[in-house]
Amino acid sequence: MLPGRPHGGRSLRSIPRHGLSAEAPTEIPRLTDHLFRHEAGKLVSALTGIFGIHRLQMAEDVVQEAMVRALQTWPYHGIPENPAAWLMQTAKRRALDLIRREKFFRENLPEITATLEQWPEEETPPFDDEIKDGRLRLMFACCHPDLPQDAQTALALKTLCGFSPAEIASAFLTTEAAIAKRLTRARQRIAELGIPFEIPEGTELSSRLDGVLRILYLLFNEGYSASSGDSVVRGELCQEAIRLAESLATHPAADHPRMHALLSMMLLNAARLPAREDLRGNILLLKDQDRTRWDRSLIARGLVHLHESAAGRDLTEYHLQAGIAACHSTASDYDDTDWPRILAHYDRWLEISASPVVALNRAVAYGQVHGAAAGIAELEAIRDQGHLDGYYFFHAVLGDFQERLGQLEAAAASFTRALQLTAVKQEQLFLTDRLRACLTRE
Amino acid sequence: MATITPTHTSGHLLLFKSTDWHKDLSPDQIQQIMTRWNDWFEGLKNEGKLIAGSPLENEGRVVSTKTGSVADGPFAESKEAVGGYFLLNVESMDEAVAIAKQCPALGHGIIVEVRPVAPCCPADRMVDEVSAPSHATA
Repeated sequence: MLPGRPHGGRSLRSIPRHGLSAEAPTEIPRLTDHLFRHEAGKLVSALTGIFGIHRLQMAEDVVQEAMVRALQTWPYHGIPENPAAWLMQTAKRRALDLIRREKFFRENLPEITATLEQWPEEETPPFDDEIKDGRLRLMFACCHPDLPQDAQTALALKTLCGFSPAEIASAFLTTEAAIAKRLTRARQRIAELGIPFEIPEGTELSSRLDGVLRILYLLFNEGYSASSGDSVVRGELCQEAIRLAESLATHPAADHPRMHALLSMMLLNAARLPAREDLRGNILLLKDQDRTRWDRSLIARGLVHLHESAAGRDLTEYHLQAGIAACHSTASDYDDTDWPRILAHYDRWLEISASPVVALNRAVAYGQVHGAAAGIAELEAIRDQGHLDGYYFFHAVLGDFQERLGQLEAAAASFTRALQLTAVKQEQLFLTDRLRACLTRE
Repeated sequence: MATITPTHTSGHLLLFKSTDWHKDLSPDQIQQIMTRWNDWFEGLKNEGKLIAGSPLENEGRVVSTKTGSVADGPFAESKEAVGGYFLLNVESMDEAVAIAKQCPALGHGIIVEVRPVAPCCPADRMVDEVSAPSHATA
């Protein structure tokens, strides 16, 4: 007597799970890129609205647990039809569990549970608005001027963008422990200072919005500039900064010309990212880039926001940077670029900000308009400003002008000096190539 | 006499141990591992190598007959706990180990224990019943 076959049907029926008994290969539903990261940001914002900003860590933990739960079950049971709603429901249940256990919450139980109960089973448009609202509140809290700036950027990346301390550390070239410490301190400061979880109103809104924009600008630049860190994570920093800025721009409280100017600047610069490196990851100069690889849809979106940024009398650094980026992205090739207009933008930018790096970039535009010799004279005039002499890019630009004038020996010396000043491998490779070109032409 | 018929008389069991290996993963990493695990699972299923598989809840009870006590479990040390299992329809330990090595969470602190399922033909079972009547083995 041998009931049942050695392998097969019986065990399958005894374990209820989707698909395992199906004979034909099953289609695996795909998750959209970064779905988890993006949902994490949304859920932390929504839960912070319920727990209170002083319990930010708890909101983050609940969201992490919901994600871990998905990791434990989806690989066996399949991806649910609406993954975002599943995560939201799971986070909600975890939140209710925690609340029932904690004394603090037991005292406020009816109110909090009522709020949580209102979370819909599916994402609905009104709830979407609430999430946007929650995200904006959290953004204002994370970018509060009483928090140190490095804590603001780390906290925004952790809570709003769903980056882990390790990922943040690799973007900022620091250690995971340092980022974790920064985050803990930032959360403590928020609780100690009683930083509110709200969208500021009236006159306060304007200055606080500037703080939020500055953090988004820093995040974008950190991703865009090649000064340090892991290039994959850094590209994502740009995308996240754009994503946050786009969601912010649709909120009435943030719908300001300078908001659109910042977003336009990000979109227009990000459009060039695909063409910025060659296949081996080497840096390509603007004049050597394949312009067909520029992202036309990003350029189009950037130009729309540039148009919107022109409403009103505001003229910010973001406006000028967006204007410069627009000149590049609408030029059919390098020589066809409207350099006089770019130079005019830099002139006005220098009036707003006396930054030596702006002055250096202006000198590049000046050399394009008035010739390499005039460019060198501009560079020499600013050499002593703010340690420019110790900045690799200064010498790289100088070498470029010298090379154009046929001063190959001087150019080689400049590229050598630049090489000594950078530790980034791609920049070193780029400069080595330029140096070799000067030496072989001699 | 009631006998227990084993559901499987051959194959290998993969036990995924340690429940807290994923605590420090970022949402992106979680998604990546999950996607790869899904593909792995579906692939094994479609090749006919996977008979069953399921995650286990973190909570449970440990029943100890000696003291008659029932304790919260599964283990005091949560890193020892089994978080899920696969029952594979493969005959050799080598093949089962090769499959275990493909586990997408290996590198993130998970431990996969590979155990052959004991063959249990009627003759063996009679021997078992005679020699160890009170001892039920899996």
